[in-house]
Amino acid sequence: MKAANKIAAILLCVLPAAAFADDPAKVAPDHAERMKQGLKVFTEHVRPLLVEHCLDCHGGKQIKADFNLATRDALMESGMIDDDAESSHMLSLINHTEEPHMPAKAKKLPDDAIAHIAKWIDLGAPYDKPLRENAAEKKSTDEITAVERDFWSLRPLAITAPPRVKNGSWGRTPVDRFIQAQLETHSIDANPIANRRTLIRRAYFDLIGLPPTPEKVDQFVADKDPRAYEKLIDQLLKSEHYGERWARHWMDVARFAESFGYEQDYDRKHAYHYRDFLIKALNRDMPYDQFVTWQIAGDEVAPDDSLAMMATGFLGAGAFPTQLTEKEFESSRYEELDDMLRTTVQSFLGLTIGCARCHSHKYDPIPSKDYYRLASAFTTAIRAEVELQIDGAEKKTKVQVTSEGFPHMKHHADGRGFPHFYKQTFFLKRGDVNQKEEVAEPGYLQVLMRPDRDESHWRVEPPKDWTRTSFRRASLANWLTDSEQGAGHLAARVVVNRVWQHHFGRGIVATPNDFGFQGARPTHPKLLDWLATDLIHSGWRLKRLHKLIMMSAVYMQTTTSDETRSKVDPVNDLHWRRAPRRLEAEAIRDSMLAVSGLLDKKMYGPGTLSESMRRRSVYFFIKRSKLIPTMMLFDWPEHLVSIGRRSNTTIAPQTLLMMNNAQTRQYAEGAAKRLADTAPDKTVKKTYRLMFGRDPSENEMTSAVEFLRQQTESYGKSKKPNKESLALADFCQALMNSNEFVFVD
Amino acid sequence: MTKRQHQSVPISRRAWIRRAGCGFGAIGAAGLLQSEGLLEQTLAADGKLGNRALNPLAAQPPHFDAKATRVIWIYINGGPSHVDTWDYKPALEKLNGKSIKEFDPKFKDTTGFFKNQVGGLMKSPFKFTPRGECGKMVSEIFPKMGEHVDKMAFIHSGFAESNNHSPALFMMNTGRPQMGYPCVGSWVMHGLGSESQNLPGFVVMSDPKGRGLPKGHAANWGAAFLPGAYQGTHLRPKGVAIDNLVRPGHMDDADQRRQIDFVQQLNKQFQTKHPAEAELAARMESFELAYRMQTAAPEALDIDSEPKHIHELYGMNNDRCKHFSRQCLIARRLVERDVRFVQIYSGGMENQRSWDGHQDIKGNHTQFAGETDQPVAALLADLEQRGLLKETLIVWCGEFGRLPIAQTGKKPGRDHNPHCFSAWMAGGGIKGGVTYGESDDVGYKAEVDRVHIHDLHATILHSLGLNHTRLTYMYNGLRIRLTGVADDGKVLTKILA
Repeated sequence: MKAANKIAAILLCVLPAAAFADDPAKVAPDHAERMKQGLKVFTEHVRPLLVEHCLDCHGGKQIKADFNLATRDALMESGMIDDDAESSHMLSLINHTEEPHMPAKAKKLPDDAIAHIAKWIDLGAPYDKPLRENAAEKKSTDEITAVERDFWSLRPLAITAPPRVKNGSWGRTPVDRFIQAQLETHSIDANPIANRRTLIRRAYFDLIGLPPTPEKVDQFVADKDPRAYEKLIDQLLKSEHYGERWARHWMDVARFAESFGYEQDYDRKHAYHYRDFLIKALNRDMPYDQFVTWQIAGDEVAPDDSLAMMATGFLGAGAFPTQLTEKEFESSRYEELDDMLRTTVQSFLGLTIGCARCHSHKYDPIPSKDYYRLASAFTTAIRAEVELQIDGAEKKTKVQVTSEGFPHMKHHADGRGFPHFYKQTFFLKRGDVNQKEEVAEPGYLQVLMRPDRDESHWRVEPPKDWTRTSFRRASLANWLTDSEQGAGHLAARVVVNRVWQHHFGRGIVATPNDFGFQGARPTHPKLLDWLATDLIHSGWRLKRLHKLIMMSAVYMQTTTSDETRSKVDPVNDLHWRRAPRRLEAEAIRDSMLAVSGLLDKKMYGPGTLSESMRRRSVYFFIKRSKLIPTMMLFDWPEHLVSIGRRSNTTIAPQTLLMMNNAQTRQYAEGAAKRLADTAPDKTVKKTYRLMFGRDPSENEMTSAVEFLRQQTESYGKSKKPNKESLALADFCQALMNSNEFVFVD
Repeated sequence: MTKRQHQSVPISRRAWIRRAGCGFGAIGAAGLLQSEGLLEQTLAADGKLGNRALNPLAAQPPHFDAKATRVIWIYINGGPSHVDTWDYKPALEKLNGKSIKEFDPKFKDTTGFFKNQVGGLMKSPFKFTPRGECGKMVSEIFPKMGEHVDKMAFIHSGFAESNNHSPALFMMNTGRPQMGYPCVGSWVMHGLGSESQNLPGFVVMSDPKGRGLPKGHAANWGAAFLPGAYQGTHLRPKGVAIDNLVRPGHMDDADQRRQIDFVQQLNKQFQTKHPAEAELAARMESFELAYRMQTAAPEALDIDSEPKHIHELYGMNNDRCKHFSRQCLIARRLVERDVRFVQIYSGGMENQRSWDGHQDIKGNHTQFAGETDQPVAALLADLEQRGLLKETLIVWCGEFGRLPIAQTGKKPGRDHNPHCFSAWMAGGGIKGGVTYGESDDVGYKAEVDRVHIHDLHATILHSLGLNHTRLTYMYNGLRIRLTGVADDGKVLTKILA
């Protein structure tokens, strides 16, 4: 809260009228009368409103955001109340002119309620007595209350059966019954199933990030088998490109890059193995609990499996300074622990934990103590490079791992004696390494531990004679994936939501990296829990989850919109339609490569910084100081922190790239070479089928032929060699630039 | 009482409320827009940048009325020595050669970057003379900038948190020593958007003499978790300045225009099948914008079209400084064309490649001052004569200061000093000829009215009409701002006009 507001608020305790604020000695002449009126408004209207809508979070059961309105003193101290209602921050929040809108995650208060509160503030916001007895008393910050444990994302998974629905003809899976039940309460219907041409394009982009070839489209459209669509999904889930597509989503979450960042931004030449791990693990449908465990402690639970070792690249993928002075050694290590911890908790549990480094979390039940105890799991974990035999190859390959007891990777400050890690992690006062308190022993987030359990419950003992690592990370992973007593139920909710988001453009929880108080609430909480439960019960298999979602009518429906339904649900929270989506950076580039015939399908191995690479975009080398310009234009993340959902911007430089970039032009020329045919109408038809998976309409045919003619004529006039192929490349490029190419229905 | 003064700034409440409705980035909420009828509005706003959810760069009103609408930040890369530039320390002459421990017994040898090269206090190798009406003592290395001291507000009590370039650079540019936060320019784009339709709103120029990029590279002008559209556009120091501005070689203007018209025809048909998708309209608009940028951007960068006397004013005829003259002249042309934020880095990477005068402070600062003195002075004069200075905030600042003691070596230098640095601001909304804060007698530490980097940032935002506590962005569950948390950051009202 702004200091000036605070001062104004304190003055206001004495003087309700702004006009007198300049002279604290004076009391407004109508002071008593105003207080009397104010009290009447308070007792008749405002008190019940505050008690019902505000108090629980702000001074009752909890004190969220440091804002307490249980007593007048606390309210005035908060700075939320200014001279009058109009300039009071509290009013801006409840009338939704400023964020965060209040009451949080609930309906806006009715206008007359807001008017009462405004009038009461104008009258000086008097109280007759506190809103709650003993209101000022604050619980110990370390103690987790039952109310906090019962927060929607933290509580155990609800056991629910799919609800009954009135109209049985639309739904195809249990998922649809959850969707439909909610639609029925608003008396609107969802759309019918889209045609096969639309479905195949949608499924291809969602699962493998590439467009279907015209032949595949024809085959699917002509397939008489009623299970044709299911077969298609199965095929795509078996495609190796699936791993490439979905690994890229995980790379955002894992802030994966292949350089140190900061001063010199040295390359991490052997970090790419983490990407290979992601692709392989996803392709073989590795159970998600194992997928998590390996990334945190693959070197402990399966040290002989090269893939498990590769998985540990996750922890060490963060940026780290390479130029350090002695003064910065230890604080940098705490920064690094913070990076590992924050990324782990955000990626797998969707919780923000960074602020608990300096003070107990203001919004979520995460005491500072929990932060340091969790961080201590990583105390001795470092980046190292080891020689491994991969997939039975004779020659060993150098792999960057995160482990303990191996020689550390070289560092610029080694000459100055940088130790890379310290033997113990301490509780730090206000996050300050100069204010150490006692040693932090490994522990977990209390709110995600059954109250009758302590950390010893998840302790994983190393095998006999094992001394190289501490098995603290294995224990952490054990807690993370324990869906009965530990954090596994939240981990399941979070991953289900990530998968859902990539299929629909928005998660059931719109904030995939924040399942805390500040995050969004689920639009379909029961569905989320049902899917999470199903995931766990079926052995944490993600491919089954994809299929379940994609076989549902809610996924298969058309994008048709209409005014009536958009009035009921303008943002489509209820999924009454499917929202078309613009492809992301990788899918746009990969699609252009695919239609150009230039795509090099070589999988795995080191990437490159060169934009003339012909492999899929997932194989770009991610160097923090030289992020690929084409990708950056289309909202590529900076790969510094976990990103759960990319921005989706439309800016002119993207279009300049599509129009003028040498690579884009080469893709168009590549396509033109494949498409040139004896007559313009044949060429146009082939081009439409390749680019859009459909035939051109009559009108489209006419204008396309005319465009080709004009361009050819112009290039003929200017005496260009190959005027026809230049014109055809112009045409191909135009189709690639068009919205139909970059949006998926 | 500065706080009351702060409060009395007339906030245009309506402007703020308007802003709050659409001020949170570029996550397109097509359905929402549709329901509010904003789509039509955007389509009708022919030639305007339209709504923010469709165009993340759409101009936004400030929180309150302000004088400055644009910023040019001359970034003195490597850490300029305050005691050799603007912060005159006569005491150093008397104490020359003495141990700093005589002055401050608590001095630790680890303050600088190098441990084993700690010399005694060292007087400035440069002469200082009073300049301007205000009589500011200015180092002889700034003969021309010295003519403009009456426009400048000096800050002598800045302090940094790190003694190492890249965390200090990040701190100065993003308010955090870690990598991964949006820089000041990106925050300003988030707050105000771009008023230019044909040019990037935030432009960065780095050293064109092959001396490298500042430590931390592009993260210094990155948007981090803000929409990518807010990142600085880095003009390539050599060759073509901006990517993809030149149409494919075989096409002339008419050929390309026909191609765009054809794409737009396809897009229109697609749109009739998808009437609810506001994003489609935004992308169609972007074709027209892109087409215009192809001519507008090269025109803005074309300094050859400037008359001879302007070239001479900026020092284009002087080999030592002409590269920087060029950049300053481009900066003027950009702000003239409504570019919001321009940052020019003086110097490349570290050591002798920038103001990082570990060795031979005299030679180093003579060199870099020589590269910038005339161009920056010319920029101030030129903006003033065009009436642009009153709307343009000029910032002169690096990532930290330098120690008053010598870094020993063949020719003495000065090591990093995080405890104290100097900066100046001029132009839009700044009071000229004033000095804020003081360092101690030898310039080792900021002493009176200490200025945190958050304060500097708060002041920059304030002069643009942005309240630094309200310019926030929700990221992964936290409401983040440029100026730290809670009560961090105060506006330096004393240097405001």
